[in-house]
Amino acid sequence: MDNIIRELRFSLRDPVVALTLLVGVLLSAFTVFSGLKEVDTERAQIERVKQMVDDDRTYALADQSDAGGAAYYAFHFTYAPPSDLAFAARGVRDDLPWKHRIRMLALEGQIYETDAGNPELSRIGKFDFAFFAAFLLPLLMILLLHDLKAAEVRNNRWAFLSATGGDGGRLLLSRAVLRAILLFACIITPFLAGVIVSTASLMSAVVVCAVIGLNLAFWLVLSLFTTSRIQSGPTAAALLLGAWFTLTVALPVGGKLMVEQSVPVPMGGEILLTQREAVNDAWDLPREATLKPFYERHPEWANAEPVSEGFDWYWYYAFQQVGDQTVESMSEALRDGVAERDKAMAMIALTSPPLLVDRVMSQLAMTDIAAFQSYDQCVRDFHAALRAFHYPMLFGGKEYSAEAMKELPTFRPCASNS
Amino acid sequence: MQSLLIIASDEWRYWSRSKLGAAAAILAFILICVSVFATTNQVAAEKETREALQLKAEEIFRSQPDRHPHRMVHYGHYVFRTPAPLAKLDPGVDPYTGTAIFLEGHRQNSATFSASYDGAQAGPFARLTPALAYQLLVPLILIIVGFGAVSREREAETDRQLVTSGVTPVEIWGGKTIALAALAALLLIPMLFGVALSGGAPAVSAAFLGSYIIYLLIWILMISGASAWCKRPSTALLVLLSAWIALSVLAPRMVASAANIAIPSASQIEADMDVLVALREVGDGHNANDPAFARLRANLLEQYDVETVEELPINFRGMVAKTSEEQLTAILNEYAEKRMTQQVAQTDFVRALSFFSPFIALQSASMTAAGTDIRTHHRFLREAEAARYEFVQGLNDAHVEKLSYADDLNRNTSKEAWRKARVSSENWRVLQDFRFSPDTASERISRMGLTVGVLFGWALVMGGIGFIGARRLSEVKNG
Repeated sequence: MDNIIRELRFSLRDPVVALTLLVGVLLSAFTVFSGLKEVDTERAQIERVKQMVDDDRTYALADQSDAGGAAYYAFHFTYAPPSDLAFAARGVRDDLPWKHRIRMLALEGQIYETDAGNPELSRIGKFDFAFFAAFLLPLLMILLLHDLKAAEVRNNRWAFLSATGGDGGRLLLSRAVLRAILLFACIITPFLAGVIVSTASLMSAVVVCAVIGLNLAFWLVLSLFTTSRIQSGPTAAALLLGAWFTLTVALPVGGKLMVEQSVPVPMGGEILLTQREAVNDAWDLPREATLKPFYERHPEWANAEPVSEGFDWYWYYAFQQVGDQTVESMSEALRDGVAERDKAMAMIALTSPPLLVDRVMSQLAMTDIAAFQSYDQCVRDFHAALRAFHYPMLFGGKEYSAEAMKELPTFRPCASNS
Repeated sequence: MQSLLIIASDEWRYWSRSKLGAAAAILAFILICVSVFATTNQVAAEKETREALQLKAEEIFRSQPDRHPHRMVHYGHYVFRTPAPLAKLDPGVDPYTGTAIFLEGHRQNSATFSASYDGAQAGPFARLTPALAYQLLVPLILIIVGFGAVSREREAETDRQLVTSGVTPVEIWGGKTIALAALAALLLIPMLFGVALSGGAPAVSAAFLGSYIIYLLIWILMISGASAWCKRPSTALLVLLSAWIALSVLAPRMVASAANIAIPSASQIEADMDVLVALREVGDGHNANDPAFARLRANLLEQYDVETVEELPINFRGMVAKTSEEQLTAILNEYAEKRMTQQVAQTDFVRALSFFSPFIALQSASMTAAGTDIRTHHRFLREAEAARYEFVQGLNDAHVEKLSYADDLNRNTSKEAWRKARVSSENWRVLQDFRFSPDTASERISRMGLTVGVLFGWALVMGGIGFIGARRLSEVKNG
């Protein structure tokens, strides 16, 4: 015990150690603070926009006298609320869409709309807790540990230590572990404060602590191994930096190139173009051309309404759906491709502790590709529910009335996103 | 002078002997080459695709059959932003903005499908463009290779031998600086090739390259300076590494976060909703009976001195569409400008803080020179909007003048009437060719003024600090 206290005092008196720890705690606090603020902003935004869209729908529906017009003018706000842990890992939330304004037109024309912020800021990259804990933490560890043995040797204490204590190596080991633990404490404390403020689940907080601990342990072992082989502090530091560089830059760059080469995805723009062509061409095609594929999908409406001559809403919505059907396979291929790329990246991340920490954290915070895709599916399900609600009025001869519109489905975020 | 070169070449010999420095430099060189090659090819392919798609979109639009003109307003058209030559080295905001816009009546769509939509997520450093390689990695490599340049000699006291042989400490510092500069020059070769092959205008290419040279010079002077000030290589490394983390990794991200907090910008959906509320007053251009158009009706009836809209020599529905598009566009533009102003304010906020970090200054200078900054993107948005308004109103003119009101009104009564309510496909020629080109070289260069100035300032300060450190070295020795 006395030894620990002595070592603690010794470590904290070292200006480099004290400064590194101070920087660690300040940066961690900054990321947690700005993350919490961002989540607050998102929640407030969701509330505000939801209200605006709801008001707008009420206003628009008041004027409508038929089912077609009602479906055309009624917009719905869909969104994936930030999880309680989203303050710690922004994940893909700044790049991929998590909110939409949807109506019952062809969905493929609406779902790729990305409501992103300032691209110059997105480009700089985010500074969230996950980035700090996964990618910066190793650098702080290198600063703390590369010089441990070299400093003793330089100050001529190494010979003394070895002579009197018998086991200088053990002393250095405990010193290194102590520094790692101090750093861990400095980083985790603001995070835990954030967890309390955001009422995130304790279980996921524990997992986050564990993966960060493992990341620290990895760099601790690597540092000790390197410094035990290399006498010169700077050389050891340069080697460790090389390892950091390989794991956080070279490997991801190579991995990304490889994954994107080996898993092709259809061009998103192609989906939009094809879908739009299909919808627009339908205006000039004989109605049967549109209604046939539609009735194949919906045999229940096949002998519902006679085809009239002029414009008819049900025909309009039939070709909206047929537009979606035309690109169904491409759209599925895109989603499958994105999922497969993500799976391949997960394998690559196994070879790099920082990447792994980043992935695990965004997984827990539900800001990863899987969460994005589940939101995407949630929107698709909601859109299908809209169609299921409107189609009986459009195709089945069910009477349109303000009363009937009270049953209009309202969007609820899917369970995995709340 | 001679002694400077001897010291520099000695330093090179030392690096080649110490495997670590050589390995780091070679690894970096390979990575840079890969990045230049991959990015150049990718952007060049993108350029070709987008140019081809642009031609195709124009051809498809003009070859549409006879239709009701308003159908073509909704049929719409695509415009693509073709990348500027230097985008091959610094794609800038390109992967984040989306590069195509769908133009249609009554709406301003945002650019769709950014490259990040389907890209593999591989952490913050995975998108290694040549620009980022030089902004982030080359300084790190220079640090790893050069942190001990002077301090190593000091620790081993070999500098005394040099001084006794008639070399001044300032010359030692100068020689080491030259050695590092030569290494940086070597690492710059891939970019030099990239710039030469990109086909950019000479002046702006030189400005682009020049800003990178000053930037690397800042780091070289910082490294040799820290190495001269610090008695031990380990201290020098600590100082340099901290500086690298603070200036290149932390500062830009913290400044970006601060910009987001200091200047909040509304999301697109919110802006859309604001527009919607404002548009309520304009009226729905599809519905000529909308009370908002009563004034228009009265004016037209008076102007043509007739009693009913049926008697008008022009198509009243077309006039409604045209007028409402005009009013609507004014509102859309007002909100779009507001949003763009917010984004520029955020960007300028970051730029103003570039005094704190040469990394921020260079990023901004580089994107400006390459024509891939936010202002260029905004110009694309404005030009796309002008193109949208022009073809939509061109179609509305056809609606007003070439389609009779009676045919228009009866279009839904029978198949025959449906067919009659059309205009000739000749009218689709209102669509102009859309070609986006970056700002002129002189315009871009003039926009780089502030950030290049910041870079020069940093270089001067670093040079000064290093020089004083070296002078101090000699005082210590003599004293």
